[in-house]
Amino acid sequence: MTEQSAPTAQLEQTAEVAPARRSTVRWVLLAIGLVAAIALPWFVYPPVAMDIAAWALFAISVDLLLGYTGLLSFGHAAFWGSSAYVTGLIAIHVGVPFPVAILGGMLFAMLIAVPIGYLSVRRTGIYFAMVTLAFAQMIYFVANQWHSLTGGENGLQGIPRSFFGIEQVETDAFYFYYAAVGLILLGAWAAWRILHSPFGRVLVAIRDNPARARALGYDVERYKVVVFVLSAGLAGLAGGVFSISHGFASLQELAWTTSGKVVLPVLGGIGTLWGGPVGAALVVLLEDKLATIGFDGIGIITGSIFIVIVLLFRRGLWGTARTVLQGLADRRHRAPRD
Amino acid sequence: MARKTKSAAIAACMTGALVLAGCGGGGPSAGGGKISDDKVVLAVLNDQSGVYKDLSGPNSVEAVKMAVADYQKKYGDKAVASDIEVISADHQNKPDIANTKAQEMYDRQKADIILDVPTSSAALAVAGVAKQKKKLFIDVGAGTTELTGASCNKYTFHWAYDTAMLAKGAASQVKNGGKKWSLVYPDYAFGQDMNKSFTSAIKEGGGTVQQSIPTPFPNDNFATFITKAASSKPDVIGTMAAGGDLINFVKQFNQSGMRDKATLAVGLMFITDIHSLGVDQFAGTTFTDAWYWNFDKKNREWADRFKEKTDTRPSFAHAANYSAALQYLEAVQRAGTDDSDAVVGELEGKKLNDVFLRDGEVRADHNVIHDTYLAEVKKKSEVNEPWDYEKIINTIPAADAYEPVSKACSL
Repeated sequence: MTEQSAPTAQLEQTAEVAPARRSTVRWVLLAIGLVAAIALPWFVYPPVAMDIAAWALFAISVDLLLGYTGLLSFGHAAFWGSSAYVTGLIAIHVGVPFPVAILGGMLFAMLIAVPIGYLSVRRTGIYFAMVTLAFAQMIYFVANQWHSLTGGENGLQGIPRSFFGIEQVETDAFYFYYAAVGLILLGAWAAWRILHSPFGRVLVAIRDNPARARALGYDVERYKVVVFVLSAGLAGLAGGVFSISHGFASLQELAWTTSGKVVLPVLGGIGTLWGGPVGAALVVLLEDKLATIGFDGIGIITGSIFIVIVLLFRRGLWGTARTVLQGLADRRHRAPRD
Repeated sequence: MARKTKSAAIAACMTGALVLAGCGGGGPSAGGGKISDDKVVLAVLNDQSGVYKDLSGPNSVEAVKMAVADYQKKYGDKAVASDIEVISADHQNKPDIANTKAQEMYDRQKADIILDVPTSSAALAVAGVAKQKKKLFIDVGAGTTELTGASCNKYTFHWAYDTAMLAKGAASQVKNGGKKWSLVYPDYAFGQDMNKSFTSAIKEGGGTVQQSIPTPFPNDNFATFITKAASSKPDVIGTMAAGGDLINFVKQFNQSGMRDKATLAVGLMFITDIHSLGVDQFAGTTFTDAWYWNFDKKNREWADRFKEKTDTRPSFAHAANYSAALQYLEAVQRAGTDDSDAVVGELEGKKLNDVFLRDGEVRADHNVIHDTYLAEVKKKSEVNEPWDYEKIINTIPAADAYEPVSKACSL
């Protein structure tokens, strides 16, 4: 993939900057992100805020594969959706507090990711995308046909939101947001931790040059399977939060259009981690606003925005903003030296 | 900012409760006090940009506005709901958007009722919200019997049609001579349900189902399935395909030459489907219709008014949305308040009649039953004016048109 040279160049650029300043910037960003996550339901309708948070984590999970390992999975709906269903089924039939149900959904997503990942990482590029899409479609049809368990195209309805009997959280979307956003932040932190570990550096090496990584003695396939399963877990965590938040899981969660949400990190900027949440916020808010605008060409608007961003902001919204800011900072930094 | 509106909402609810309590004791003092937020808000939540746009969509919002105008004209100064607002949103047939928008409509936009909501999964999602928020929801656009079955609740009503009623209507042609049937259905839940209800309805009517043939979904090539269905020389071939699949099926059915040998019965079809593919393609096809604009003078008058506003003829979904909004406002009028429980009480068990509901009744499972029709699509030569597509063959009395009250439902 040709775009991959962009983030690499950026990484090299960042490496030149003094480490002390870089870590300050990182902490400031982290603080801003945290404040944004906490303040969100004050500015956005709480259920919409929850959607943004869930899709943000989904986008991060996709970015983990696409931006950092160079794998375009077109079947991530399989993990988001199957976790949504399993979370719902656990919540309905076992009646445990919702974080436990979500944990169950997440584990299920990771479980099915093992064979899917094992079989698909043997291929790269478009073939990898097609194989993952095929698996996702298989799961879609299972959910569609297994009517007694999943409700078919009616969806799995009436998922309870039990939380240790605390009524505000169970009934009010505003308080629920704070009860659930912790899980999302935990997922985002896990992604950050994975990427800033030696394991994460190997992933980037695999993305940039798999042959060289192999020559250095790394088992490329195994690394790919592991990151695939981790990514599926994050997508599953996000899907579980989504289904508890809405109180149902539907076939849409498993449909290929959900896998198509790989555009979220592309809009925000792949290989940046922050890009995913930015893209998610943009798309969810847009979907929400367009629903009441009374204009029947919603596809035209979202499509044009996508084209404009891809053409004008090759590194995505966040990626471009970061480059611009960095350029400004570097100029100011260099000026006194001259 | 958000907190403020929220506490305002809580305050409003509290006030509402207090006022109600006051009503019980003393009797009404001022007319405005019994209406929450001094305003009745009707919210139409449907597909305004996708596949269901034409059969319901923005024109259903117009239909609801017509109901509001009629209510205001009828009661004038005596109207309990003096200030009425109609709002709408596009759920894009996505259940998650429907779910979020429904919450927002009830909480933020102070909607007292949500109307329409096509797509089963979206409708069931909104029914869940209605139950939680204790606000009314009248579904028109979705066909699932689940709404008045296991997923029924006190605040949800199902107007217009469901899959069982479609089967009963189509099977009524057994007595017109269509005894031997072959059914072709898409192999997923909707198709399987339709196949099941058609089979039992046909058997009950005294006909036989020779074959039930599942097809993949979605599907483009129906030739083999049509040939197979024709092999047993049926009187009627029934297809449960919908949308794009239906259009493919009908075209291939016509090309196969089967048209002269057997009647084609379509499980679910709207007049807008006939309009978009052309009356010639569908000529001779039978289907169940919940309402037809050119059925009698009353319907026609309403359809004329509708045409003035929208420049098109109404589908049954448009008329049903009008009827649902009107009956809701009438119930508010009778109850003297827009309090959900009081309005539900005024609707439950009532016999209702209007331009859409003939011999209508709100059943115990909140399924609103009414007379339905078996329609046949006219030949092009019989069409006298635009949208004059249907010939009504049978009227199915309300009592026979629906399945009995679902045992799975407990409000």
